[in-house]
Amino acid sequence: MVDIARSPTESSGFSRKLAALIIIVYAIVTLIPITWIILTGFKSVTSSITYPPEVFFEPSLEGYVNLFTTRTRQSKEYLEALPPPETWYEELVRSREMVIAGPSKFFGRYANSLIIGFGATFLSVFLGALAAYAFSRFKIPLKDDLMFFILSTRMFPPIAVAVPIFIMYRKIGLGDTHLGMIILYTVVNLSLAVWLLKGFMDEIPREYEEAAMIDGYTRMGAFFKIVLPQATTGIAATAIFCMIFSWNEYAFAVLLTQFNAQTAPPFIPTIIGEGGQDWSAIGAGTTLFLIPVMIFTVVLRKHLLRGITFGAVRK
Amino acid sequence: MKKKILHKAKGLSDKAVAWIFITPTLLLLLAINIYPLIYAISMSFTNFYANKLGKEIKWVGLKNYVKILGKEAIWERMQITASFMFWTLLLQAIIGLGLALLLNKKFKGNELLTTLIVLPMMLSPAVVGVFWTYLYNPQVGLFNYIVNFFYDFGSFDMIGSSTLAPWAIVIVDTWMWTPFTMLICLAGLRSIPNYLYEAAEVDRANRLQQFIYITLPSVLPFLLLALLFRGIENFKMFDMVVELTSGGPGSATELASIQLKREAFEKWKTGYSSAYAVILFVTIFGFGNVYVKVMNKIKDR
Repeated sequence: MVDIARSPTESSGFSRKLAALIIIVYAIVTLIPITWIILTGFKSVTSSITYPPEVFFEPSLEGYVNLFTTRTRQSKEYLEALPPPETWYEELVRSREMVIAGPSKFFGRYANSLIIGFGATFLSVFLGALAAYAFSRFKIPLKDDLMFFILSTRMFPPIAVAVPIFIMYRKIGLGDTHLGMIILYTVVNLSLAVWLLKGFMDEIPREYEEAAMIDGYTRMGAFFKIVLPQATTGIAATAIFCMIFSWNEYAFAVLLTQFNAQTAPPFIPTIIGEGGQDWSAIGAGTTLFLIPVMIFTVVLRKHLLRGITFGAVRK
Repeated sequence: MKKKILHKAKGLSDKAVAWIFITPTLLLLLAINIYPLIYAISMSFTNFYANKLGKEIKWVGLKNYVKILGKEAIWERMQITASFMFWTLLLQAIIGLGLALLLNKKFKGNELLTTLIVLPMMLSPAVVGVFWTYLYNPQVGLFNYIVNFFYDFGSFDMIGSSTLAPWAIVIVDTWMWTPFTMLICLAGLRSIPNYLYEAAEVDRANRLQQFIYITLPSVLPFLLLALLFRGIENFKMFDMVVELTSGGPGSATELASIQLKREAFEKWKTGYSSAYAVILFVTIFGFGNVYVKVMNKIKDR
């Protein structure tokens, strides 16, 4: 009789321990690549290309210095003639027989990622919330078809529409601009924002707004003052998903931008040192680029499932 | 009745609010999504080159389509894409479901481990491609070192060899996206009510029978949904593979969208590449539709 209540979720102690062990091993293995690239960011250039790979090494900020600067190699005589270095990073660069020539483009690219990411996230969540509310509450002709149409826009391969957008943007002066990229990412994110937010708004009881409207609010007023505050969690989760998408996007960024509005993902692979890729600088750039996403993932963990399935699976 | 009077009395009507709320979204989608698509479709019947704007554009009818469908290189890339999709989906289904089954046994630290395992899929695919080239580096790569630690293959180059490169991209995609199927399968497992298993115990069904008759059928719709999402994404796959192998060596890992990018943005054959894009789009839409129908049938059973 004891057995009756036993289901796969309440299995015996041994099988539970075995499951935990396998999962822990998997988690460790799957985190090795990420850990490795973060560690590489703290290696010196020489230590990043030794074989066998060094697990224990003397930490160095050379990667970070290289990431933010451009450098030129100089002769010993030239270096000796210079006044002593003023900062620790100048000293580090000089110890490699180089001098700092100027800042690199990384900071600008990172800033572009932030500007475009926040801009597109704000717009897509704002517009998405409006549309989601309408789809959630009102009778709209062809509602299901419209919702499907909105979702289907996500299925296009980005390359398929990239050429027309490229030509269109060039004509109206949006090519390689922040505004152009913000609009583009907003549009790509809208389908996700509408679908997710509709799900969240469906869960807010209609009675709240109805009560507010009896108290004298207009429909608009009730939406902004009652519904939106109720949907804060959903809006935050949606915003993070939109942010992650814009942050990670590569195809449009590499095809439609070059100098002015290019984000970090197309830039990171182009970081090269003398004689090949500068892995410690790439490691440093990757680390700075991945940290926000990792923090977001931890914050989001309760809503992950909903976000990745456009709200189809809610748990 | 009360509600109606209220709306008339105060502010805009519901209908007006509905359209004010929806219109901006629809307009943006029409301008930046549908218009370019229609533009691409109409270009696909011409000999347009986007880098020669002054040149006269000639209507060529279905010539581009005929040319593409008759080209061996295109079918070769389609095959590369198909086998990439086959192996990634198969591996992600098996490993993802396996992990979900294990995670469904409630043990301490379960939630923390789930969050850690999920990390790879949140990262930028292009950046993932970049740092895997480091891991795969034949001279200093950690991947090669670990493989050789367990069995000494000597020196091998995952990205430089045309037999290994297709596996290199399958491994990275599987590493990155297995958590996706895992999460969705886990939701499926958690949705199975306990009384089903209790009833099965009463009927003296053993563990294996319970798995085959209760667990699998309940999880299957979830697994199929996960594979649909992954299938669409991997059919469009571009960023990770471009950064990892850039389609090489030769064309060993040149997936359809990488080839499309070459035709459109390197050779600037806009008309021709638009036709190619339309063919890809119709393919994914067609397969997607059939798949959803099959999926719904399985769900209804």
